[in-house]
Amino acid sequence: MPADPNMKILVVDDMTTMRRIVKNILKQLGFANVEEAENGQEALQKLRAERFDFVVSDWNMPVMTGIDLLRAIRADAQLKAIPVLMVTAEAQQANLVDAIQAGVSNYIVKPFTAETMQEKLQKIFK
Amino acid sequence: MHNGKHKLYAELGELARFVENATRTLSQASAPIASSCAGLPAATAHLIDLSKMTEDGTLEVMRLTEMIQENRSRTLKELEAISAILEAVDCTTLAQRLQKTASGLAQDDKLLMEIFTALSFQDLVAQRVKKLVGILNDVQNKLMELVVVFGIQEDVNGAAATGKTGELLTQLEASKTTAMKQTVADEILAQFGFN
Repeated sequence: MPADPNMKILVVDDMTTMRRIVKNILKQLGFANVEEAENGQEALQKLRAERFDFVVSDWNMPVMTGIDLLRAIRADAQLKAIPVLMVTAEAQQANLVDAIQAGVSNYIVKPFTAETMQEKLQKIFK
Repeated sequence: MHNGKHKLYAELGELARFVENATRTLSQASAPIASSCAGLPAATAHLIDLSKMTEDGTLEVMRLTEMIQENRSRTLKELEAISAILEAVDCTTLAQRLQKTASGLAQDDKLLMEIFTALSFQDLVAQRVKKLVGILNDVQNKLMELVVVFGIQEDVNGAAATGKTGELLTQLEASKTTAMKQTVADEILAQFGFN
């Protein structure tokens, strides 16, 4: 199923610059319904408060990391089906394997291009 | 008996001198360490400033880039509308020229997007700076402890590379040497059935 341009996306990153980059790329790719959270805990609160269709999350964040957020999403009956894309500089193979085992939908290594984001979206929503 | 006591006193005297010398040496060492400690908060502040400056600069470039992107988007829509009108009134040549201009603008949009994504360097710099600040804070705390307890000799053989500092240094080093490329990540993902 191709990605719905109206789907609601949550971008989770503690860095303002990265949130803005991801939002801008998503906008250029046709996804304008994007909200932000600064860490995993805030993201989890938003996810439990309203419906989101897709999560793009960083790994290294204060309060609650991206991998903990991913595990929390997969452990929650209401949220476990939401696709989660990790966008991170945490680029060691062990991290990637951890993310896969935790149920990540796909993984982008920073720095990345708009094409990479598009390709990953196509793979997740094919 | 008398000789034994004399020998004992001599040895105790020697031991006392040794302890006094050691204490003096440690006292002398504490001054430069305390002085080094005093410089660490400034170094930390410089690093935090550096992170803030790159963030401010990056956000400003982003703001301007977004403005240009929006202007171009409006211009593109306008050109498409004009082109449609021209085609409707059979000015095909003019319409084609406008379409070509619109196509050039679309190419520029791609470049603007590349500028935008290239700004992710700021996030990577900030993450390294954060780790360095953590190391500096940890080193400062350790040095202060050494000054207070005079336990300097225990730390000469690389003890600084253990504990929290060691962990942070390892992370920093790892982020430099084992940074994975997207292609490698994709290969691993493929092994797990992500096609």
